[in-house]
Amino acid sequence: MSEAAITVQGLRKSYGDFEAVRGIDFQVQQGEVFGLLGPNGAGKTTTVEILEGLRPRSNGEVRVLGLDPNQQVARLKDRIGACLQSTNLPDKLKVTEAMQLFAALYSRNVDGDQLLRRLQLWEKRNENYASLSGGQKQRLALALALLNDPQLVFLDEPTTGLDPQVRLEIHKLIEELRAEKRTILLTTHYIEEAERLCDRVAIIDQGRIIAIGTPREIQARTLGHSRIEVATERPIPDGMLTPASFEAETILLSDNRLAITVSSARPARTVVELVKWIDAQGVGLADIHLKRPTLEDVFIELTGKRLRE
Amino acid sequence: MKAYLALIRMNLRLALRERSVIFFNYFFPLIFFFAFAQFMGGSTGGSVMTRIVSMVLVIGILGSGLFGAGMRSVMERETGILRRYKVTPISPLPILVASLVTGWLLYLPALGLIFALSHYFYGMPWPERPFSLIFLITLGCFAFRAIGLIIAAVANSMAESNILIQILYMPMIFLSGATIPLSSMPVTAQIISQFLPASYLNSGVQHVLLRARGLTSNLESVGALVVTTILATLISMKLFRWEKEEKLPNKSKAWVLAVLLPFVAMGIYQAWSREHITETKNLERQVRRNYTRLIRGATIFTGDGTVIRSGAVLLKDGRIAEVYEGEVPSAKSLSAEPLEAAGKTVMPGLIDTHVHLGSPGGAMQPGPDFDLTAAMERALAAYAYSGVTAVASAGDFTTQTLAARKRAIDGEHTGAELHLCGPLFTAKKGHGTEYFRGMPTLVRNMAAQEFTRTPETPEQAREAVAELKRIGVDCIKAVLDDGGPGAPFERLQTTILKAIADAARENGLPLAVHTGDARDVAEAIQAGASTIEHGSFRDVIPQETFARMKEKGVYYDPTLSVLEAFVAVRERKADLLSRSLVQQAAPAGLIEATRAAVTATGAQPWRDWIERYPIDYAAAEENLRRAHKAGVTLITGSDAGNFLVIHGPTVQREVELWVKAGIPAPAALQAATGNGARRLGIDKRAGFVRKGHEGTIVVVDGNPLEDPAALEHISSVFLQGERIDRSELFDQH
Repeated sequence: MSEAAITVQGLRKSYGDFEAVRGIDFQVQQGEVFGLLGPNGAGKTTTVEILEGLRPRSNGEVRVLGLDPNQQVARLKDRIGACLQSTNLPDKLKVTEAMQLFAALYSRNVDGDQLLRRLQLWEKRNENYASLSGGQKQRLALALALLNDPQLVFLDEPTTGLDPQVRLEIHKLIEELRAEKRTILLTTHYIEEAERLCDRVAIIDQGRIIAIGTPREIQARTLGHSRIEVATERPIPDGMLTPASFEAETILLSDNRLAITVSSARPARTVVELVKWIDAQGVGLADIHLKRPTLEDVFIELTGKRLRE
Repeated sequence: MKAYLALIRMNLRLALRERSVIFFNYFFPLIFFFAFAQFMGGSTGGSVMTRIVSMVLVIGILGSGLFGAGMRSVMERETGILRRYKVTPISPLPILVASLVTGWLLYLPALGLIFALSHYFYGMPWPERPFSLIFLITLGCFAFRAIGLIIAAVANSMAESNILIQILYMPMIFLSGATIPLSSMPVTAQIISQFLPASYLNSGVQHVLLRARGLTSNLESVGALVVTTILATLISMKLFRWEKEEKLPNKSKAWVLAVLLPFVAMGIYQAWSREHITETKNLERQVRRNYTRLIRGATIFTGDGTVIRSGAVLLKDGRIAEVYEGEVPSAKSLSAEPLEAAGKTVMPGLIDTHVHLGSPGGAMQPGPDFDLTAAMERALAAYAYSGVTAVASAGDFTTQTLAARKRAIDGEHTGAELHLCGPLFTAKKGHGTEYFRGMPTLVRNMAAQEFTRTPETPEQAREAVAELKRIGVDCIKAVLDDGGPGAPFERLQTTILKAIADAARENGLPLAVHTGDARDVAEAIQAGASTIEHGSFRDVIPQETFARMKEKGVYYDPTLSVLEAFVAVRERKADLLSRSLVQQAAPAGLIEATRAAVTATGAQPWRDWIERYPIDYAAAEENLRRAHKAGVTLITGSDAGNFLVIHGPTVQREVELWVKAGIPAPAALQAATGNGARRLGIDKRAGFVRKGHEGTIVVVDGNPLEDPAALEHISSVFLQGERIDRSELFDQH
């Protein structure tokens, strides 16, 4: 593998007294889909905008496609594609006109009509921007981001505010981009989006990376093992529950004694033991769930906060 | 470049899809257009219309700039459109430039529309300098769009930008002359207007339209607008914000003041120099000049001997557009304001071919703050007041006279048109040098340089004439007179007079020669004089001399007025001061001081020369009759400035004296008008009531052909089409 598409070392960004980014390091390899995951205000967008050359950094080293976004900003912008949050186009601009306009801003272009076809906007090409649906607008934003055939695409929360159906469409498009070996930097606060789309993920909170790796690595590394939730028909007698008897780490009994939550590194063994034990107690098994840890669990474990709050 | 074009194309498309843009760009100005045209009487003359057009243009450009560029740019930032461009490789410059260019392109059709409507609906002529106009409009569009962009850069929200725009828009609309003519505002408001960018656009456009001035004579406006455009574009680039989240630090807002700096500087300069305020007045005059007016029902004396018993004169755009005899179209059909003149006579403005503006014509001691140019302008105003619309100075301080002439030409002062001979060519101790004898050497030398030329060789004479030609005199005056018995003055040598005459002819300047006796007249004619001034007040000039004059086309300027005045001074009679028009036109105090001086008993030094100068009034009258009989072209100089010949109704008195001497009134009137114009070389454009000539005419009550006294009953005076407000010409205490 040649040079990394993005290299970030010790990146800091302050707005007056407020430090939005407090020293982060990561690399994104060419062809990789890299996710920045974090709650609102974690510093994701600030980081992305520094990489895109939209705002200067306060400190640290940044290379994007071998360029310094502070110094070689026009060259950088010419080579990247970007879907920003909360941008707009003039209401009465037609889809094709938007494509022509943005094509004129870059030194190289791909065939806009083909892009429109591929993004299922061909039928809408003579519509005004204002008359497009949310999903169509987002697809147009993607089309515009791809006009200069960028090897590196920034997608800043590309699915926020879209309904699940549309979100799936966008996911499919991103997977196509990945298949084209484009490097993608994606920010999101949808955990499943990161899990589904990203090769690697960095979790950001309060301006710092608190975990980085493949989604699976992160899951494995954290304390958050699999969770087994059991509901019983009658209260579970007191004094009998010890984690060791189920090869589990922790056991939590609910106040009404009708539910227990067990966490375990070896969930298959634990389930068998639990079911046996409940049978033996005669409290009646009402329900049983096995939950693998999610990025959200990881996040909660790492920060004590939920992602969206 | 690709990006610029793409952005401009997009802006244009979007603008044309926006109803409000169409409305404010094309329909909104038309509301003003028709309202102004109705309210200000646009149909009565081309130049009222040109002013309306310039007002509407300024309103349109201001709107396009401030609201169009300013509000739109804020809106694009607020809605996140600019943010989208931020991630593309373009800088703010293409966005700003595209906004400037789009505004301009959108405005050009409005410009065409307004001119087409003015032309076809109100008969306004097409602009004489379309390229200057388009250039200026372009600059205006750019400058005000750039100002709009600065506002956009500074305002943090639509509401804020709206407030800022109103703060700029309102004063610019009301104080720049765009809605209320500047000249009708108090001076303080006019000075305030000099601080407003819009004033420069307004006055620039008016100059181009009304005075057909090119860009070079409009440097002030052009410069102010260019500086604004560049400065405002640079500042708006510096302050450019892609996103509404980027707030502008308050101290950056101070940059806005930088764009106002040129105007603050201009304003301060103007407040000090008042140059622009004078210009404003001149523009206003231009508007009045171009008014369309129909003077009807009058007797018309055309200046070339023809008399129309009942006719009408149409004045338009400063000129005589038509002279009607008998049937006259209705004023309405001509879009003219009628002026009823039944019982009145319309004639060309009177012309006095021999005046000395520098002396008052009586006893008035110059005070310490005496300003010779101002005194001359006062005299020119007195002439205009009296219907004497052109005068030739036959010897005055040259520098000040040239200054007065320049101010008159520039329209800074209203008065009779001034021609000047510059200094007198005379002998070292000749007539003309006596006035400075008692003065200290330094003053004497200065005065002599201004007032006389005393060449001692033909070569010096030629050089002196050539030098005067260079500084711009209109004619050359020489004195050939030894002062009569005892020869008190040295007489100019005829060889030198010949050299002066030759040089004058080579330089295309007429030569006026002051003569004392019959020999002087004959020799002056022989040497090549163009006009004989005075002729002789002591000899009867032989018939053959007049025949020679007729043959050579030499003018005869008898100046009976000064002779009559000399007689009156000798007799210590001040009746000449009692003439009504003299009293109206003379400066305060002059009449009483002069009356006192003239009627005082005892010897006075100023009388010496008058007492000693030989006078035979009957001979002078006889000479005039002989000249008339011989068919010599006569002109009506008065020699005003001499005692009892006060600047003002001089030609009236001269004509009266001629009629008394037996000259027919029509001949005298023709001498006072058309002949005078020929002598001044302005007969191609003035001196006659003739189609195409300047609208410089006088309307008098009664008929001067029957009674010369009617010349004193001035009804109106028009200077180049402007009906002058005679009461405004000077302070009448």
